[in-house]
Amino acid sequence: MVAQREDFKERYARGDRWISRMFATKRSCCAIDEDDMDMDELFGPSGQDNGGTPEPIAKPVATRNMDDDYDEFDEDEDEAPKPATPTPAPTNIPVTPNAQQDGSTKILEARERLEAESKDTEESVRDAMYKLFFTLENDRDALLEQQKLEESDRQVQAETNGQGTPGPQPTSHAPGKLSSTNLGASSLTLKHLIARIDAKRERVKLSDQELRQLLSDVRKNRSKWANEDKIGQEELYEAAEKVVLDLRAKTEHSTAFLNRVNKREAPHYFEIIKQPMDLGTVMKKLRGYVYKSKKEFVDDLDLIWENCLKYNSEPSHYLRKHAIAMRDAAKKLVQLVPDIVIRDRAEVEAEEAAAAEHDADGESDDEPIMSTRGRKAPKATKARKAARAESRAEATPEAKPPLLNLIRADSMPPNGGDNGSQFGDGSQIGLGTPPMGGTPAPNGHLGQLEIGEPKMDDETDPLMIAWKAMTKKKRADGVKRRGELFKENRIDPEQPALLRSRFGMGRFLRNEAKHRKGTDDSHDDAQHDKLADAEEDAQSAFFMPDYDDPMSYIPELPYLTEWRSGEGENVDAAITGEYGRIAPRGMFLPPSTGLNTKIMANLKQMQDTRKICSKITVIKQMQMQPQLYHPNQIPKYDPEPFKEVDAENFVVTEDGPIMDKDVNRAVLQRSVGKLFYHAGFEQFQPAALEVATDICADFFKNLGKTFKLYMESEEQYTKKAILYHTLFENGVETADLETYIREDVERLGSKLTTIQDRMKAHLGDMLRPAMQEGAGENIFEDGSEQFISGDFAADLNEDFLGLRDLGLDKELGLSSLSVPLHLLTSRITSMQNQTAGPAASVDGYTPPPPFEPLTAEVLALQIDLIKPYFEEKLVNLPADKNGAAIEDEDLPQRQRPNKPRLPPTGKITQSRKRVAGSQGGNSKKKKKPNPIEDKKAPPTKKERDESFGKGTEMDEGGMISPESIAA
Amino acid sequence: MSTDKYKYRAEIQAMMFVSGETGETAPETTGIVEDIVRGQVIEMLTQSSILAARRGSRAISTDDLIFLIRHDKAKVSRLRTYLSWKDVRKSAKDNDKEGVAPGDDLLEEANSAADPVKMRQKKVKIGLPWEVPHYFSEQVPEREEDEDEEELEANAATLQRLKNADERTRGMTREEYVHWSECRQASFTFRKGKRFREWAGFGTVVEAKPNDDIVDILGFLTFEIVQTLTEEALKVKEAEDRVEKESGRKRKRGAGIGGGELFMREEARTPVEHRHVVEAFRRLQAGRPKYRAMRNFGGGLRKSRLGLL
Repeated sequence: MVAQREDFKERYARGDRWISRMFATKRSCCAIDEDDMDMDELFGPSGQDNGGTPEPIAKPVATRNMDDDYDEFDEDEDEAPKPATPTPAPTNIPVTPNAQQDGSTKILEARERLEAESKDTEESVRDAMYKLFFTLENDRDALLEQQKLEESDRQVQAETNGQGTPGPQPTSHAPGKLSSTNLGASSLTLKHLIARIDAKRERVKLSDQELRQLLSDVRKNRSKWANEDKIGQEELYEAAEKVVLDLRAKTEHSTAFLNRVNKREAPHYFEIIKQPMDLGTVMKKLRGYVYKSKKEFVDDLDLIWENCLKYNSEPSHYLRKHAIAMRDAAKKLVQLVPDIVIRDRAEVEAEEAAAAEHDADGESDDEPIMSTRGRKAPKATKARKAARAESRAEATPEAKPPLLNLIRADSMPPNGGDNGSQFGDGSQIGLGTPPMGGTPAPNGHLGQLEIGEPKMDDETDPLMIAWKAMTKKKRADGVKRRGELFKENRIDPEQPALLRSRFGMGRFLRNEAKHRKGTDDSHDDAQHDKLADAEEDAQSAFFMPDYDDPMSYIPELPYLTEWRSGEGENVDAAITGEYGRIAPRGMFLPPSTGLNTKIMANLKQMQDTRKICSKITVIKQMQMQPQLYHPNQIPKYDPEPFKEVDAENFVVTEDGPIMDKDVNRAVLQRSVGKLFYHAGFEQFQPAALEVATDICADFFKNLGKTFKLYMESEEQYTKKAILYHTLFENGVETADLETYIREDVERLGSKLTTIQDRMKAHLGDMLRPAMQEGAGENIFEDGSEQFISGDFAADLNEDFLGLRDLGLDKELGLSSLSVPLHLLTSRITSMQNQTAGPAASVDGYTPPPPFEPLTAEVLALQIDLIKPYFEEKLVNLPADKNGAAIEDEDLPQRQRPNKPRLPPTGKITQSRKRVAGSQGGNSKKKKKPNPIEDKKAPPTKKERDESFGKGTEMDEGGMISPESIAA
Repeated sequence: MSTDKYKYRAEIQAMMFVSGETGETAPETTGIVEDIVRGQVIEMLTQSSILAARRGSRAISTDDLIFLIRHDKAKVSRLRTYLSWKDVRKSAKDNDKEGVAPGDDLLEEANSAADPVKMRQKKVKIGLPWEVPHYFSEQVPEREEDEDEEELEANAATLQRLKNADERTRGMTREEYVHWSECRQASFTFRKGKRFREWAGFGTVVEAKPNDDIVDILGFLTFEIVQTLTEEALKVKEAEDRVEKESGRKRKRGAGIGGGELFMREEARTPVEHRHVVEAFRRLQAGRPKYRAMRNFGGGLRKSRLGLL
């Protein structure tokens, strides 16, 4: 474990680099945990190990094996920590002829170079992975390519197995004793294990080959290609296989070359191409140990590309591009294959028996055994099922490569593990991406990426290509896993639930914690945690933020406000000037154009007309009941003008609609109220307004939804068509709209004007007779100035009759507050009738002569019987100037005695003082039952939304005018 | 049974004749028309009694009834004209009773009453409470020049109908015209108030017995319903005939037989049939997206009320 610690320290050095880079964003906590990436990198092998876990068909046995293997692997690591520098392990090739040493060092150099290049690319990709937002559009391709690859793999395997291996050992069909059949070299170190496995052989569901492969994987340094009898085979085949796998893994281009050309696909193919070749066949030949030298292998590869170029001779053919790309890649890769010609052991031994023996003895514990005992060929048994073999392979850890494989993560093709151990040193070359020529160096990315540099074309961006290649398997897996959750476009209930793994949870919590703690101070803690976390992460699956961490689906939003601590404990949110700003005014005001102006004009007109109405009412009342009212008794109609108030200043940070439910609702309510008034309702209950607003909101919601549906529909509608469709679907036809505007707004306006004119005329008519000349003067000659002059009103200094409120004073030209005489027209007329006699009569009958006023003289003329009654009256009643008693009817209202009324029943009940107010024939049938209190301004949102400071002082008092209901 | 059920065969036939139907309508056609009309009347009564209840009154007023059809401005305008003439007639009758010659034909009385001066005095405009003048608490005395453009517009349809009738009667012989004018007087209610009340289910549908005004309005509206229905049914039939004619031509051409024209004319004379009326009714009821708009995205069963024709 000490060695592991060492490792971790080194990784932290690297991790810090990443982190410091990340911290440039100021919010480290929001960035995806960089360590995961590092872990993957550093724990490359183990990452691979678990890379297979998501494979859904992994058998439990395989999983157990995997775990076991893991342990083994750990021990291995403990025993022999590998240096980080890529050095060849000379111990691995003890029997390599000296003649090849020079060549192999060259190869190694080339490898190192390539490695370094690909490593750079990979690093930059990893770097970018957390900063770039990769789209998912390639996932389908990845899945398909991956599937094809796997299929081809299976095919190759099946074919190889089906044919039986031409290898040195016969195929054993039944599971035999492991100890007796194979793995001589390992039997010493693993003998207990082997014995155990043998004892429980029937319970192990793996074929012999699989087991053997497992065991050979576990043992380091030896591959399945190793054959004691064939010198150089292991090295050549390891390298060759690696090349083939890498080529196949370049699914961008390799798809066409994976399998044999089908006669159905290209009918004349075999007429042109005499010697067909494909990667699958090469692999098959490899497994069949057909190649004897590098040249044969390389020739076969070249044949593939040449065939393609030959058959598809058309220069613009799309396959040519792929073939050429593959050829180039192959050229590069082939350099890594050692130039070895396989020879029989016996032959070599004959040449250098002594030296070889010596070397082999001195090497290690394993070596003598290996060299002395023949090893079985790896391809001994038939896999029971190709699929299972594959799943097993996925779950199988690879043998410890001689180098600490830092970068290998998933650049391996899916079946990389299938064929087990590699040279290791060859495994990094797989990317085949051009060196980082066109892209900025990894360190240079940050600035550019942050400012959102547009991504280059996928085809040309090496970063993208590298990313694609690296993450292909992962993505394919992701897609597949996602796909498995569904069955026939529904979520399949049988599938296991999506649960966050322990490590995933840990990661999540860590991120959360960091987020809460803030930025920099958490650094140390985080670092502290990381030690522990690293171990976990080492076991967790390869981590791709785009696919695994929902937090990273959404790029970090920059904080646009800064919290600055002011004096004391005050913390002020300072809004950085660039983003936060005062919302433009007038957002909550209706537009000052179009229909709104018309409607507003109508409303104004209605108010004005109502004012006139109220005047008429007052006058009518005064004419009918010339008694004096206190100003408060007189209904006043003094509507406030409609005023629509915008919300107070508030701050917005972004463009786009203001989403504040309450404010918007209040505004909508205002509009609805306006329409109510426009439809003729002077008042309305708040509940009614609420309901109508709700309905209105629903309607608009529906409109919006319909809009959305149409805009997202596959057919491309024009905007106009969308509008029409939407309106129609929601029950509004354009004709209706036109009708509404024409009939209900414009014509209403003209009607209102007419009515107003007529009202004015009517009012004028009512006022006019008194204003006519002569009429006024007559009254003054009359004896009734006492109450007509209205002195008392002046004394009280009150607005008599509320005329000023009504605006009648100006209209009547009153300068004082005295009672306007002509308002009493009806009384005046009647008095005139009384005094002037028959001449003034309307209906053609001569009115009876007026009663003689009761005076002392008149009294004397009366008969004695009624004298006492009159005398009493004369005393009691107030007398006028002439000493005559005033008739009851001529008395001022208040002094008049109550006149009993005869109710319809005919019974005179107790007389009541009563202001009988049958107001003029107003038959408004649609009147709301209850008078309604003024609508309150909608609740302000101040308390609720402090930071936005959105006050909504909607002055809607104007919406509902005080009712002018009389009596 | 069926004879008992349908009581207005003659009237409906007459109304359909006036509305453009030329042929002899079959009893089942008038039967379905009668059913539809009855359904409409009952619906109107139900709805207006609901309205009345909302007002807090038990008895239906004419306003309640007119309120139901308020959106059909042309119809409202016709109804108004009808009502004002009814007023004129009534007052004319009163005058006549007091005055010179009782016992004349009612229509003529109306005509005599309609000499311009007198008419202007008598003809009252029927105000409806939801109209603009009623927005205000004070009513202005009527003036006479109030025949505004809206009225004219609303009358356009009426005038068109009159014109159509004119066209049809132009070529009529005297007998035919007499028949025509008799048919024009057909009514569900006129002088058969009792029968109508029973038929429409007064007393069961509405509690309080509607007064004569209501019955008169219903009489007017029922005529309108029959008219609308007949016109629509005629359109349906016309369309059907056209299709048949085209396919018939094809048939004819294929078979090489002449004399299709005569056949077609025969066809054209066939009366409106049951199915045409049903289709017409369906058309008149359908296609009102307004009534389902608020249920969009809401799901659930959409219940719709019977649309008033």
